[in-house]
Amino acid sequence: MGATTIFIRRRDGRIEVRLNERGRDFVRRQFERLMAVDGEADHAWRSVVNQPIDPADDVDDPVWVLERERVASSNTELALVTVDEEFLNNAEAWAWLCSLQHVLRGISLEQRLFSDEDVAARSDDELNDVRVLQLLLFELADVIES
Amino acid sequence: MGATVTQRSTSTDSTVALQDAVATKHPWNVVVWNDPVTPMSVVVIILRKIFQYSNAKATKLMMTVHNEGRAIVWSGEKDRAEAYCVQLHTHGLHASIEQDN
Repeated sequence: MGATTIFIRRRDGRIEVRLNERGRDFVRRQFERLMAVDGEADHAWRSVVNQPIDPADDVDDPVWVLERERVASSNTELALVTVDEEFLNNAEAWAWLCSLQHVLRGISLEQRLFSDEDVAARSDDELNDVRVLQLLLFELADVIES
Repeated sequence: MGATVTQRSTSTDSTVALQDAVATKHPWNVVVWNDPVTPMSVVVIILRKIFQYSNAKATKLMMTVHNEGRAIVWSGEKDRAEAYCVQLHTHGLHASIEQDN
């Protein structure tokens, strides 16, 4: 386990979020982008949020589709309402992780990053958001495990 | 499989029932697919959380995903496979189910 600097596990079990205003603005914008997917049927990130359970079937079981949408929406809502919190509990930290992970995959789909070669072919500027999200996810995963 | 042939000559209904029974003997696999952006440690903690796997097992599965492009992370009944797949989706991983051949 490497030492994390953005997220710190406190002795009382809570996770301290050491993001400055700019960092929180970045995270807030990502959660808001994810929230917007719900209201747009043909959003570019739609296939990340609503990927098929069984690709061999034409249509997924609607019960599972609803369940997935319900959980994903409540995770994003929880992440968004806690974006300014100094401390997160485990459930909130998981909501952040799930939401940031959806955003990361949404951006990778939008930028057509389907292989390591695709990633290597992009400039640092093009990959800036991806790298920031990866860092946040890496550190959050590390601290959730601690 | 030999029993299916015997049943087919006596009753269509029982043939269908038997074919269903035979079909359920093939487990459903939950497959996690590789993507080039998800941090490895994120895959590991998600597998540990959903399947209650040890760190060693989750890490081994993650490495299979990374090296081979996909890994079967669980096999069993279809309903449970679907439920696990939906959980993987809500955690942001690329996953699907398929019936074992």
